[in-house]
Amino acid sequence: MRKGKWVKKFFGRAGALLMAAILVSASALAGCGGSGSGGGSGSQETVSSGRSTVLGSGSKKIRILSGSENRELEPVLSQYADKNHLQIEMTYEGSLDIMRDLGEKDFAYDAVWPASSIWMNAGDSLHRVKHAQSIAINPVVFGIRKSLAQELGFVGKEVSVNDILDAIMAGKLRFCMTSATQSNSGASAYLGFIQALAGDTDVIQKEDVEKQEVQDKLRELLSGIDRSSGSSEWLRDMFVKGGCDAMVNYECLIISANKELEQAGQEPLYVIYPYDGLSIADSPLGYVDQGDKESEERFLGLQEYLLSPDVQSQIQKTGRRTAYTGINEENKSVFKSEWGLQPDRVLSPFKFPDWSVIEECLNIYQSQLRKPSLTVYCLDYSGSMQGEGNEQLMKAMEQLLIQENAEKYFLQASADDVTILVPFDNSVRDVYRSDGDAQNMKALYDTLQSLFPDGGTDMYTAMEQGLQEMKNYDLSKYNPALIVMTDGQSQDYYDQFEEEYLQDKSGIPIFSIMYGDADSQQLDQLAQLSNARVFDGREDLVGAFQKVRGYN
Amino acid sequence: MKTKLIGLIVVLAAIAAAVIYVTVGRKTQVTALNGYVGGEKIGFLEDQEVQDILRKDYHLSLEYSKAGSLDMVAADKEGKDFLWPSSQTALEYYKSEVGKPVRSETVFNTPIVIYTRKAVSDALQKEGTVYVQDGIYYVDLAKLIKLVEDGTSWKSIGLPQLYGNVTVSSTDPVKSNSGNMFAGLLANTLAGGVATESNVDQYLPEIKQIFEKSGYMESSSADIFSEFLKMGIGSKPLVVGYESQLLEFSVEQPDIWKQVKDDIVMMYPVPTVWSSHVWIAMDDQAAGAVDALQDSTIQELAWKKHGFRTAVSGGSADNTAFPDIAVAPQVNQVGQMPNYKTMKKIIDALSR
Repeated sequence: MRKGKWVKKFFGRAGALLMAAILVSASALAGCGGSGSGGGSGSQETVSSGRSTVLGSGSKKIRILSGSENRELEPVLSQYADKNHLQIEMTYEGSLDIMRDLGEKDFAYDAVWPASSIWMNAGDSLHRVKHAQSIAINPVVFGIRKSLAQELGFVGKEVSVNDILDAIMAGKLRFCMTSATQSNSGASAYLGFIQALAGDTDVIQKEDVEKQEVQDKLRELLSGIDRSSGSSEWLRDMFVKGGCDAMVNYECLIISANKELEQAGQEPLYVIYPYDGLSIADSPLGYVDQGDKESEERFLGLQEYLLSPDVQSQIQKTGRRTAYTGINEENKSVFKSEWGLQPDRVLSPFKFPDWSVIEECLNIYQSQLRKPSLTVYCLDYSGSMQGEGNEQLMKAMEQLLIQENAEKYFLQASADDVTILVPFDNSVRDVYRSDGDAQNMKALYDTLQSLFPDGGTDMYTAMEQGLQEMKNYDLSKYNPALIVMTDGQSQDYYDQFEEEYLQDKSGIPIFSIMYGDADSQQLDQLAQLSNARVFDGREDLVGAFQKVRGYN
Repeated sequence: MKTKLIGLIVVLAAIAAAVIYVTVGRKTQVTALNGYVGGEKIGFLEDQEVQDILRKDYHLSLEYSKAGSLDMVAADKEGKDFLWPSSQTALEYYKSEVGKPVRSETVFNTPIVIYTRKAVSDALQKEGTVYVQDGIYYVDLAKLIKLVEDGTSWKSIGLPQLYGNVTVSSTDPVKSNSGNMFAGLLANTLAGGVATESNVDQYLPEIKQIFEKSGYMESSSADIFSEFLKMGIGSKPLVVGYESQLLEFSVEQPDIWKQVKDDIVMMYPVPTVWSSHVWIAMDDQAAGAVDALQDSTIQELAWKKHGFRTAVSGGSADNTAFPDIAVAPQVNQVGQMPNYKTMKKIIDALSR
């Protein structure tokens, strides 16, 4: 590289280009065929953990940190990447993570594409974002199984958040929603609940969310949540696999879920636009200026393409609204009225409160109002975890169990949360339990510190123990999850485990974190069995634990 | 052997060509100035014609980072040569925070306006807050404030499709200029003249209350305007902006403008205030750039393509440049902004 710099300094840009051309032709003449194509960046298709996807195969790259709902636009992005010999690297994260990453000095992406500009603006403390443009417009809505919506009297009329609340309190409606502290759709819906419950207010003030009666009602509302998730797209996937009656999500993801549901011969969802708590995600794609002009040009090219009338029309076909004039006549059929969709509806959202109030609302959600989580961690303490593995694990645990750290990511425990640790090797080492008290949580961490990795690997026995532990709790009062982290192949007791799991009927989701030489097939089996998900912690174990923590 | 020699000659010739190219290229050395700019001027700065004149005739190029007019004064200014906020207040703020700039000059002016949709202006016209004169829309600001303060619902003025009460959306007055100027304008309207350091205190609670109804506020005038245009009537029915924004949009996006023009209404508040785009030079190189920006062709481009009224003509402008927008040829009833000390009181009250 130093040589390149010197050339540039001496000859200017034209000289450098020329020199490069000479060097290239020289090496071509010498016939040194290059170092093989492909090679890859190391991030090969990760096992359903939802990290990076590389589209196209050019030498130049655009790296975008994006909300998961944009995965559905990959075909549109691929077209551009192929045509222009570019690579578009999409990395998916929740909007709140995007916000935090954007605030860091080191930012390994060229662009951000969160669900809503509110997170982009809040994260852009270094004033690096430019050329931000809304690519699509997605209202956050309720989708309710059509027959249930009919039963509840929600079809063909204007429905308020309070109507929905009444149905939940009467035990007639349960729903799935992403975590308000991890994902935009969950945060928006939650703020919409507060707006509607606060009654006659133009905009939520701090006092509104501090009122006892508002908090009681919110707790009640959130207790109607069946399953949670850290990602809107994954919530959709999980929903399609079954087990839930309703979900809060983007209009576009309800539309795509309905397509799949109908294809599978199942009942579609009916969309409710709660008039007193509606929010809109404006899907802004913004360039993060780190001084690279060429990368900026590439970005602008892509953005112009996405905003061109043809591509905007393609985007509408995925169930997204676009700017200015609403949905084109030819795409209105995507927004089916029998699914409750209203393509011509005036979307009139409530006003988001001031940023400090939003933060307060999110903190109260995480530490007091959300349905408590019951989490069992089965942690691999086999011999291969010695050294680096155990160090990484302890770092992750430090972030989750020490509450001052967890708070920074809105991952702190509430008083009613239950955390159970099941460290294992080829048998269960012991079981450690804690409520949400910060001191008790820290005691769990201290205990882990005294353990030393040794022995073989059998995660199945540990998970059986975990399920056993959960039987001591009334699961209807919790969002339960079993999280298993392993770095090796387990002895194959899967069949036996499956039998017990299915007998138990609780349907507890088993999230796994892959580390070291873990067997991805074994982990995929668990995700399939329990309608859950595998997280790849091989490169960033701490990050994987933080992500999985957003799922219950 | 012979082919090898020819190869060598080709390579040598290429190197010679490169050297000549570079030496000749060096002659017109362009000075790159770096600074913070309010988002509403980005279209102007990205304009190829403007860039060409700056480079060819003045050997200048302007690099920028986007920042709110008041934010930029407080921001880290290392490596920056200039600030280009959109108000006199930002200049006074700069003087009190940093000191006297190397040079400062108002380059453009544009009045504060309120954007809305036809259905909303119709409803407000029926209700007596908006009136039309010679095809130009005016909004009686005192009456509009009253609607907001009374908690008038959209529904009650005939707009049941809109949720909640009448509010006017602006950028954050603490961070960005158009919101800040709107706060000044509110103070003026409540005071029935230019608000002063001695009379503003009594209006602070009212101003604060009006802004509290806004909730989350954007920090960029460009973002809020683009949201207004893109998200339809429901998202932000009344938005404070600059006149220049719509004029520029109609030129830059003629196709989209054609589709939406019948629905978009630009209303001149009575009274209103000028947003003055003051160039603040923090070094000698940036001081020289003022002459370039006052170049008559650049000033003409600024009006015809970007909607900025030139600071030289005293505010009147040839509105035939925008045949399908109701542009006031002369903006009357323009008040002075309250002075910096008065604005500081307002900002302090709103920061709490």
